[in-house]
This record gives sequence, structure tokens and C-alpha cells, in this order.
Amino acid sequence: MAALADTAALPPPRRRADSHRGLVFVLLAPVLAFFVVFNTIPLLWLLGLSFHSFSLTSGQPPEFVGFRNYVQLWMGRNNFWGDLQRTFTFVGVGVTIQTLLGVGLGLLFWGSRTMPGRRLALTLLFAPMVLTPVATGTFFRFIYDPNFGALNQILLGLGLPMVDFLGNPRTAFWAVLAVDCWMWTPFMILMTLAALGSVPRAELEAAEIDRLPFRKRFTLVILHHGKFILMLGILLRTIDSFKTLDLIIPMTKGGPGQQTRLVAVELNKQAFESFNMGFSSAYAVYLLLVSIAMTSIFIFVLNLRRRRG
Amino acid sequence: MTRSIIRPAKPGLVLPRRRLLQGAAAFGAATLGAPFVNRLQAQEAHPLAGQSIQMSILGIAGWLPSSLGVQMSPLFADYAKEQYGYDVSFTFAEAPFADLFQKAATSLATRSQEYNIIISDSQWLGALAQPGWIVQLNDIIAQNPELDIEWYSDIVVDTYMRYPDGSDQLWGLPQEGDTIALFLRQDMLDDPAEQEAFQAAHGMPLPRTFEDYENLTMAEFEKVAAHFNRPDQNLYGTAMQYSRVYDFVSCYLYPFMWSQGGDIWNPETGEVVGILNSDINARAMEQMRDWLRYQPPGATNFGIAEIIDVFTQGRVFSSFQWAAVGLSMITPELEGKVLVAPPPKHGEGEAARRVYTMGGQPWVLNAYNDDAHMRVAIDFLKWWYKPETALEFARRGGNPADAATLNDPGFDAINPWNRAYKYMLTEGRSRDFWHHPKYAEMLAVQQEGFSAFMTGQSDDAMGVLDYIACAQQQILADVGDAPEVPSMCYGTSL
Amino acid sequence: MSWRRSLYHTLLWAVALLWFAPVAWIILSAFKTREDILATPPKLIFTPTLQNFVDLFNRNTSFTTQFLNSIVLSVTSVVIAVAVSFLAAYAFSRFKPRGTNFLMFLLLSVRMLPGPAVILPIFLMYAAFGWKDSHVALVLFYAMFSIPFSVWILKGFLDGVSIRYDETGRVNGGSWAHVIFRVVLPQVKPGLIAAFIFNLIFVWNEFLFNFVIGGVRTQNIPYALAVGTYSDGGLNWTFIAALTTIYLVPPVLAIYAFQKYLLVGMTFGTVRGEV
Repeated sequence: MAALADTAALPPPRRRADSHRGLVFVLLAPVLAFFVVFNTIPLLWLLGLSFHSFSLTSGQPPEFVGFRNYVQLWMGRNNFWGDLQRTFTFVGVGVTIQTLLGVGLGLLFWGSRTMPGRRLALTLLFAPMVLTPVATGTFFRFIYDPNFGALNQILLGLGLPMVDFLGNPRTAFWAVLAVDCWMWTPFMILMTLAALGSVPRAELEAAEIDRLPFRKRFTLVILHHGKFILMLGILLRTIDSFKTLDLIIPMTKGGPGQQTRLVAVELNKQAFESFNMGFSSAYAVYLLLVSIAMTSIFIFVLNLRRRRG
Repeated sequence: MTRSIIRPAKPGLVLPRRRLLQGAAAFGAATLGAPFVNRLQAQEAHPLAGQSIQMSILGIAGWLPSSLGVQMSPLFADYAKEQYGYDVSFTFAEAPFADLFQKAATSLATRSQEYNIIISDSQWLGALAQPGWIVQLNDIIAQNPELDIEWYSDIVVDTYMRYPDGSDQLWGLPQEGDTIALFLRQDMLDDPAEQEAFQAAHGMPLPRTFEDYENLTMAEFEKVAAHFNRPDQNLYGTAMQYSRVYDFVSCYLYPFMWSQGGDIWNPETGEVVGILNSDINARAMEQMRDWLRYQPPGATNFGIAEIIDVFTQGRVFSSFQWAAVGLSMITPELEGKVLVAPPPKHGEGEAARRVYTMGGQPWVLNAYNDDAHMRVAIDFLKWWYKPETALEFARRGGNPADAATLNDPGFDAINPWNRAYKYMLTEGRSRDFWHHPKYAEMLAVQQEGFSAFMTGQSDDAMGVLDYIACAQQQILADVGDAPEVPSMCYGTSL
Repeated sequence: MSWRRSLYHTLLWAVALLWFAPVAWIILSAFKTREDILATPPKLIFTPTLQNFVDLFNRNTSFTTQFLNSIVLSVTSVVIAVAVSFLAAYAFSRFKPRGTNFLMFLLLSVRMLPGPAVILPIFLMYAAFGWKDSHVALVLFYAMFSIPFSVWILKGFLDGVSIRYDETGRVNGGSWAHVIFRVVLPQVKPGLIAAFIFNLIFVWNEFLFNFVIGGVRTQNIPYALAVGTYSDGGLNWTFIAALTTIYLVPPVLAIYAFQKYLLVGMTFGTVRGEV
């Protein structure tokens, strides 16, 4: 468990980039080329298009409409606020559950160094993270199926009523969220183990000698040292879960009604089912703003940690 | 066969596509002479004779008629070799219903020849035709009398070929005709104990034959469904589609609306508000939701495949299902045990009517096909509508739509569902919905709305209809095809 | 003490197995017939069959193409991405050119954007230039998508390598190429492996981009899973189970073999160490 926090506490002394301008340029050129072609140009394109009305299936060229798309979205066309609200609920509740479960199980796995077959056990535990989301979604639809699915058979065996997990509007959202938690709790376990690894052994031993109760040991020692890594974990989950799409498409397609329509699902529908390119571009720009905000918070926390050493 | 196309080429560098085709044809005829003489009929040499062409078809994944077209294509390769003297091989791409338009459109938008022939859904005709992605077929039909076919009814032309509605522009040709049918377990109906029990309970005999169901109303069928609805034995009365995916719930809700006199829009003016949100339609939604009580758990997520699963696994006594998947519905174990009948009428007595939703798909041709591929595509279509091919298609479980095949006295006996299919393909009993280019967007709105109502998120049918009608008219108004939405719309939400 | 330890280990194993149960269920299903899959109550004991795997190869004519595409697309794009990212990360780490922080930020924000928002303008661009359904164009896009993670991971590692190595190398008359590839590169091998493996897993599992800007020639296995959900006889559970089972083997082997890089890989280098 020799996890160590970021080792880049001391950045190398600043060198004048100017004296090696040619070299720097050569080194950066490929990435910059990629970036300009596949990022800058497309993003400018997106931005431009967001001020146009452009439907791919209309056969008409784009028509400039100013801020109409933005205003329509802001006014709640296509229930934009509903999508955002659902997404934030999905993110908030999901990440909270994953963090609590992950920290709990992470603490449980803390002393597992000498466990026989530890590597295999951890591989099994972490497997959900690397499964193809499309396959996961499809198969969970089967596991949730009221007629043939394993889960309802288990409920039935326990004498509980049958639940139409994905068809019932009261359960669909939570059923999807549960799968997300199943997939990503292992990630928070991983982060917890890393956080625990960053706690200096001496302090832990001191706490042991002082006979601090576990709750105090946890808040005073473990959280004190591990909070940055946990924070990064939570942020990464927040950002990733904001993007959830692959999982939802095979399970519910955003239904029943709009119950599982997260922003990525709706944007995918607007862009690649309805081919409303102008409207979708405005939608994407709004999401870009959210992403930039979240990335900024992430970097802020990262720098905070650097500064603290 | 090729007479109408081969004309002398005119000089010029920039030639329209058809010109080029003619040019190529004339060139082929002149240089190659007649290397291949058909044993059965003397004919001019095909311009592609001796060449090898690879064709690509985009079809619908998990959709039987589409895969039949795929499976039968080697027959065309043999035919083309024999008849025209060229080699053709096929590659296939597939996407499920919900994603096929996405697949086709993303490709066609790049002016790609990735798919030479596409099995489109009927409602996409507008969205494919409007940007000029597919070929308008009027001239091709005029030049190829083999494609000027007498269809079984006008619904075929209206559904699979015509866009805009009411115009004379033709854009597709039926790959497969399809209607909703009622699949019933004949073995359960034939059980004398069931018949007695039903007679005793309802004072009427258990409807058991095609003719019985032809005259049956939904109210009467409800008794039958209720009779066989036995959740404790894991058997349910019936199954319909309620899924939010693609057009599933819409296709099975429309019959409740149309049969009772409801409508969905005014195709001339583009108005939806005031037409879709009618009392009849609101009641229709409630009726369809009430039918959930005779259906297995999870029915609110039922689409085509889920119904096949519950029916073939013996969980339901009956199912409303597309005739197209008859072959999948009637597995070898169920052979001889299934009656396929017209779905019941709505309403009472003399006024009772049935207007169900059309299914089925047209073939459409990629407008960016080069001449050779276009030529092969047309040859392929000509082959597809040959009486022998149509018959073979039917024998393998497909549903042709031409009058000659359907009127053949032997047709009804080919498949158990043929009679019901033909019955429903008759004028006035089935209809299609919008072919407007904004189809996908309008559909998504109402699928969400209908699904919200069917799953009980909303109990206010009229409120849901108001929301859908306003959103749909707004979509049409945005492209200038409908008047601005009335002020009542500014408070509607789902 | 020892029985408590055994109990503890049993508990840990139970948690791991519980978490793995749904995956195990998929794998079990791959060896069942359609009837066994749909049987209620679910069958734990059944006669295993390999028929589903045989069918994969026989019935699904595109299977080989899709599988090869999965491999080619992921390996090529990630190799390219890691190579160019290493160079850029070296420049960022050693020379700190103006705008480094801003560029690092921009790079990251690309990865923070929901998929459809990323692919929408790319699709329009590909449509305009006719790049859709081309291996090269798809590889380049996937490479672009793998660059941010790789740069972040590698910069973190390079920052940790003392600049004295570079200086010594230069003083001894080594060329820049010698210093970068012979002196520094071997020291960040863990970073290279982490960047490689975790971008590989991402591209391996990627569906949306392949669906939108790929096509007949470039379709991968996630695409096949998405479009093969339905067969003519209903939902195609045997196909999904068998294909998923085959497909999950490489990533699961990867996290077994490269477990010590897991943390670095999943946090793009911002947290380092092993678990």
C-alpha cells in the first residue's frame, strides 16, 4: 500500500523556453496540430453554428438567427432545465453514494495486503469499470427485466413484489443510477485506498498509541492527509457522471417519458436523431460552459494540493 | 430490358447523372458488342457485362423482412450473372429501428456511397428526400415498365412511395408491406373447457376463427383477454407496445385514436393544436392504458422484440404485433397453434371501425450512387418485383405488396398471417402517419409524452396531448410549415 | 487471530465476488442456450454450450472485421497519442513555455465535455471533407481524444524526473534526441504504460464516436453490440452475452496485469501510487 501523493511537489527549476524555441516548437507541434484540427476548428464551427438555424434534413443552408437557439433553451424549450436538473440529481446522488460506499469499502480493504489472491480479488472488484458501457447497459436491461430477469426472480424468491425497474417512472431513474453506482463505486474504492496510502505511518501509529476512537482517527488523521485525493476522486466522478450516455441508451433511451433523459442523452437525440444542428450546437455550448466550470474547480483543487505540498 | 435507357450519348463535359448513365450504356453497348447471349431471350448487352460490382445495403437490425432481403440477395447475384452478365456481391450494414435513420443520415450527409440501397422506414421519406439524399423515382419508373407495378391498394403508394403527401412525387418502392395483426393462441381457443367457461361467464361463444375476430370489437375482445389473463399461472391476456423507443407506443396508440374518429394533424396547413389534443384522443390514451391490466409486468417497456419474447415463451395468450415478424412469433414449437386475425374494431355496433397503423419499409436509392451502382440498384429492384421473386419472398416469410402476388389464390395459404395482412392492407383499414422531414423530432416529443402517460407519470391525458400538439406545431412552425402556435401553448409542459 | 484474519479475508472476497456477480452472470449466459437464458427461475446449473461462440463466427459475417477494427483503431490511435503526448509533455515539463497552464486546462476540458457535444462539430467537419468511415480519420480523432489524458499523465511523471538527468546528458554531449529518448524516456515508463493501457481501454469500449463518424468499414465491437441487440427472433441475448464475454477478456486481463498502474491511469496522473 505504498501509495504516494503527487510527487511533483517541487517543480523543476523554470527554464527559459525562449532559448530553446525551436526545440519547444518541434516538440509541441504534433499535439498543437491535433488540437487545432480536431478541437479548435470544430469548436469554432460549433460556436458559429449555434447562432444559426440549421437542420440537416431540411435541405436548406444554415440561416443566421442570432441568439434565438440560446434564448429558446434558456426559456425551457425541450425542457432544457428539466434535463439539467435530472443530470445534477444523477450526479449529486450518484457521486454521494459512490463516495460513501467507496470510502467504506476502501477502509474495509485497507488491511488486505496479505490477503491470498488479493490481485485477483481486486481485479474482479474493478472489472465493472472497464466493461463496455453499451454491453453493461444492455445486459442490465435483461437483469432488470420483469419477466425473465434475474433480479425480479430474486425478489420473488424473497417473497417481495415484482418491480418493473426500467418501465416504472418511479424506479427507472434510480435503477439506472444503481448501475452507475455499481460501475463506479470501485473507482472510489481505488481512490480511498490511494488516500489511505498517503497517510504517514507514524501518525497512524501515534493515533493508535493515543487510543483515539476510530471516528477521531478517521477525521483527524486519515481525512486530514487523504482529503485531496478523495476530493480529486469526487471531482473526476462528478465530471464523468455528467457525461453519462452509453449506459442510458441501451437501457431506457431516456424513458419512460423523460425520466432518464440526461443532458448527454437529449443532446445526442437533438443532434443525431433529429439533426437539428443549430439548436444542438447551442445546447452543446451551454454544456461546454458547465464543463469548463467543472474543470476549473478540478484544477483549483489540484493547485491547492500542490501549494500545500 | 434496357431499351429505355440506352440512347446515344450527347457530347459535353459536365453531364447530368442520367446522361452519364446513358453515355456509359451506349459506350458499353458499342465496345463490348454482345458478348453474352441469353438462352431464353435475346436482348441487348448490359453495359456492365463482365464487370464486378460490390453493392452495399443498409438494413434494419433484428427486423425479419429486412434480413430476408439480405438473405435473398445471392439469388439476385445469380440472376444478374445469368441475365446481364455482371458479377455482383453484397455487403450489409445494419442498425436497429431507433438508430437506422441516424446511420443513414450521418452517411448521406457526407454525400457518401457507403450504402447504395437503403431500407428506410416509411416516415423518413421526407427527411431523406428533402435534402436530396435519395433518388426521386418517377423517371426511373417511367423508363422501366417493370417497376410500374399495380399495388394491392393505394395505401401502399401513400405509405412507401409518395412524398409530400398528396403529391405525385415518388421516392421509394415497398421493400415489404406490413400491418398490425392480432396473434392468438389457437390451441387455447380450441380447448373445450375454455369455451364452456367463457360461454358460461359471458353468455357468448368464445371467438375462435378469423371471421369471428373480423367482426369483434375491442369491448368484446377485452372479455377474451380477461378470460385468459391469469397472473398466478404466469399467463397474461394480451400484449401491445408501450415502449418509449422509436415509434413503438405511437404505432399502437394511433389505432385507438383513428378508429374512433380522432386525427393527428392537418397535413395541408400543418396545424396540430386543436386536432391532436381532442377529447377522442384523450379517451383513446386512457383506453390504451387500461389495457395494461391484461398484460405482463413490464409491458410499458414492450417493443417488437419484447413481445416476441413473451409470446414465444408462452407468457401471453395473444399479442398485437406486426405481421412482418410472423415468422419469429410462430416458432416451430408454436406451429399450428397460432391464429392470426385482424385486430378488433373500436366502437359499438354498426359504427365500429378499425383504422390501424401501417408498418413496412420502402427501398430507397442513394442519390450519390455512381452510374454503375445506380444501374445495379435499378436492376436489383426490377428483380425484386418479378413475380417469382415476390413469391419467393412470401415463401420465406416476407410480405410483398403487389396486387398480382397478393391476389394469387395460393397467397393466403403461404403463411398463417397472410390473410390478416392482406385484410389489413385494404383501403381504410390502415394508414401511415407523417412523412415530414421533421418526423424524428415530432416523434421524439410524442413518444416521451405518450410514454409518460402510459407509465403513470402523468394522469392528465389532455394535458399531455396539449403539450405534444404545441411542441409539434412549434417544430413545424419553425420551418415555416405551420402557423404559429396559439397562445394556449405558453403554459404547456410535460 | 488467524481465524479472524480468515474471516476478514473471506469477507473481502465476498465483496469482490458480489461486485463481480453481474459480470459473472453475463459470462454464464454466454454458455447457455436461449431457452436457458430466458428460463425462470434463472438456471445456475445447466449444460454449457459453445454454440453461441460458434454462431458468432459463423452467422455474424462482420464479426472478424469488427474485432480487427477494435484492435487496429485502439492500438494505432493510442500509440500515436502517447508518442506525440510524450513530446509535448516533455516540452511542458522542461521548458514551461508561455501558456502551459492554459493549454493543459484546455486539453483537459475537452475530455470533460459530454460525447455528443464533442462529436457534433467533428461530424459536420468530417461530413464536409468526406472523412467519414475512414480508418485514418477515425484513428486521428481517437488519437486526439487520447492526447489530453496522456499529456496529463506524462507531464506528472516527467515533473517527477529530476532535471539533472537532462543536464548531465547535455553536458556529456548528448543530443536532445538522445536525452529525450535514451535518458528521460526510460524513467517514465510507468507513465507511458499507464497512459497506453487506460486510453486503450477507453477507445476499446467507445461506441458513440464510432457510430457517428465511423461506418461499414470501421465499425467496432461496441457498435456490433449496440446494433446486434435485436435478432429476428426477439432480443438477441445469446449474441450479446457471447460477444460481451469475448470482449471483456482483454480489459480485465489488462487490469490484472497492470494493476499497479490502475490508479495513475484512472486519474490521468494526478494521483500516483499503487493499491
